[in-house]
Amino acid sequence: MSITALLTQFGDRYLAALWTTYKLTALSFILAAALGIVITVMRISPIRPLRIAADLYVQVFRNIPGAALLILLVYALPYLQVVLSYFTCVLTATTLIPAAFCSEYLMSGMNTISPGQIEAARSLGMTFLQMIKNVVLPQAVRSSVLPMTNLLVATMLTTALASQVPLSPTDLTGIVSYISTHAVGGVTAFLISAALYCATAVVIGQVGNLIDRKVRILR
Amino acid sequence: MNGAHTSIRDILYEPPGPKARRAIFWATAASLAALAALAALIVRQFYVTGQLDGKYWSIFTRYTTWRFLAKGFAGTLEVALSSSVVAFAMGMLLMMGRISRSRALNWLCTALIELSRGIPTLLFIYFFFLFAPQLGLKLSAFWKITLPVAISAAGVVAEVLRSGVNAVPRGQTEAAVTLGMRGRSVFFKIVFPQAFRYVIPSLIAELVIVLKDTTFAYVVNYADLMQNAKVLISNYDALLSVYLVAAVIYILVNYALNKMSVAVAGLTRTPAMPGK
Amino acid sequence: MEQGQKIVGKEPIIELRHINKHFGSVQVLKDVSLTVHKGEVVVIIGPSGSGKSTLCRTINRLETIDSGEIVIDGAVLPQEGKQLAALRSQIGMVFQSFNLFAHKRILDNVTVAPRDVLHTPKKQAEAEAMELLRRVGVGDQAHKVPAQLSGGQQQRVAIARALAMHPKAILFDEPTSALDPEMIGEVLDVMTELAREGMTMVIVTHEMAFAKAIADRVVFLEDGQIVEESTDPKAFFDEPATERARLFLRALEH
Repeated sequence: MSITALLTQFGDRYLAALWTTYKLTALSFILAAALGIVITVMRISPIRPLRIAADLYVQVFRNIPGAALLILLVYALPYLQVVLSYFTCVLTATTLIPAAFCSEYLMSGMNTISPGQIEAARSLGMTFLQMIKNVVLPQAVRSSVLPMTNLLVATMLTTALASQVPLSPTDLTGIVSYISTHAVGGVTAFLISAALYCATAVVIGQVGNLIDRKVRILR
Repeated sequence: MNGAHTSIRDILYEPPGPKARRAIFWATAASLAALAALAALIVRQFYVTGQLDGKYWSIFTRYTTWRFLAKGFAGTLEVALSSSVVAFAMGMLLMMGRISRSRALNWLCTALIELSRGIPTLLFIYFFFLFAPQLGLKLSAFWKITLPVAISAAGVVAEVLRSGVNAVPRGQTEAAVTLGMRGRSVFFKIVFPQAFRYVIPSLIAELVIVLKDTTFAYVVNYADLMQNAKVLISNYDALLSVYLVAAVIYILVNYALNKMSVAVAGLTRTPAMPGK
Repeated sequence: MEQGQKIVGKEPIIELRHINKHFGSVQVLKDVSLTVHKGEVVVIIGPSGSGKSTLCRTINRLETIDSGEIVIDGAVLPQEGKQLAALRSQIGMVFQSFNLFAHKRILDNVTVAPRDVLHTPKKQAEAEAMELLRRVGVGDQAHKVPAQLSGGQQQRVAIARALAMHPKAILFDEPTSALDPEMIGEVLDVMTELAREGMTMVIVTHEMAFAKAIADRVVFLEDGQIVEESTDPKAFFDEPATERARLFLRALEH
């Protein structure tokens, strides 16, 4: 099947699928970043139980396979009388996992700050919050640009999980299996989806590099 | 005395004074209570929905259950290890192309690496599952999961290997050349062994990603841990407990792999480089 | 009184009273008492591991103490909170490893604390900072970031950063130990200039010639104890009163 024929027949669905993938990616990334920050604050807090709980969170969700988590959310949770919509299940999975990685990146970003700078901030009379604002946060954020762009790409790839549940409209991966069951020669569908994913990943990577070059901290 | 602080965690807060100590004490108590309440809520939900019932959990006291899960896990490992080997071979080729002097080869391998890293594993799986047969490729379920997982990892492996090669000091090559060694033998005898040592931790970390990707084996009907869990579920009607146990197995295995990666990194004294 | 020697005031700026400190089971400071008067330059010397850096760092509570009392310009150093931050802002500190803020330009390194802690208006803070940077000889580096500067330049910026807070005293914790030999002089020159202008200084150093030249008082610390104290540095370095100081100084000559 040629690209034109395929797009005439399934063009609208493709747009919808692309939109689903982008929407899921953006939503997941924002939620994952927010959750990742909360988890990180817990991990660096002086309160032991919070540290332990947040460490546990990270270990669980950076090690659980996406498919296993999605299956638990979709099939197991209802046994606990928690029934989520398919979309919510996918969004939950594609948020919980990247959040763990987000926290890992933030932690290593902060670890690039030499302890001496923190002592210097203290010796200048900065309070804890002033130190965080002037010294810790700006450096952690700036050294997290590249990891965060990688995370955004990884999050997008994770959203392919959406193809494993009946979603309407489905995502860029789901539409490939949809088209292959409704038409012959779906390889073209595969190629289009692959190109869209890859192009998006490359663009994200380039923008990330651009920002990183602007804000990178010389050491 | 300053060198004792290794992590930002240890230096971010000052040694607490009496006021801060009191605040930390109460915050600790409050957070303990909150976490306990959360745990209690979860256990209660298990209880009221009958999921704590013995029939769901007693199967795990049986040897046969574990043997069956172990068989599934063996399938998972088979795929994971085969994928890793294939991914390493492909990654090696891509890396060689990426650092070669040929412009065209360079460009081609860069493009292939981007493709490998920019496309979800699931989409590769669909390619082998749905379209490979149409293209005349008759593959067993094993290869239908092994190949896409490998392809998906190959790009990262290539980049990891390249970072290792770049980390080998130039002087090493120069020294070898002055000793009369030739290009290829310099690379394989001098540069690559060192590069490989550097990146072992990152390669182990990549193994975790491969292992996670194998859970999509159900798409192609290959008997891995997840598939065998599914069989157990239909035999014993114990979905929640079985899937939960399967998930915990994955988490523990990956956790162990990550720990290993960190330990190896400590041995070779180079930091693990970021993966995918 | 010798010519050129400045007059040290009677007004105490820093008072350490019976300071004790342990690292685990090791006692690193043993009942140390020391008073630094206004305008005085106190140089602390001693073998490595003698506790001299620790002593210096207890003064603004970068190290906690187990017992004893620290008084800064009449106020007891609090253990935490805003009061601690406020007292710290009055005592400058220069570290061995410079510790400039890696992400900030040189100028911003100097202005950040005055602006955020003292609420100095931006214009004024920057004008003062430029003046200070020129004084320590790095005025033309103001718009670079720390990694672009040599170690000696970074340390001079660190001194300017401390000065920008108009401190009552400055602590120097081995300020030249991390520097290449050819850069040590430029930092010591700035410090000598400061001393001449009457800044109250506590200096931990291994530079004995410098110590001899700049000190109003030398404190010799060993095993966490003040072994010898002398207001006549020349006499101390030529003919120390205690056997331990003599051994220490002789070991340095070889």
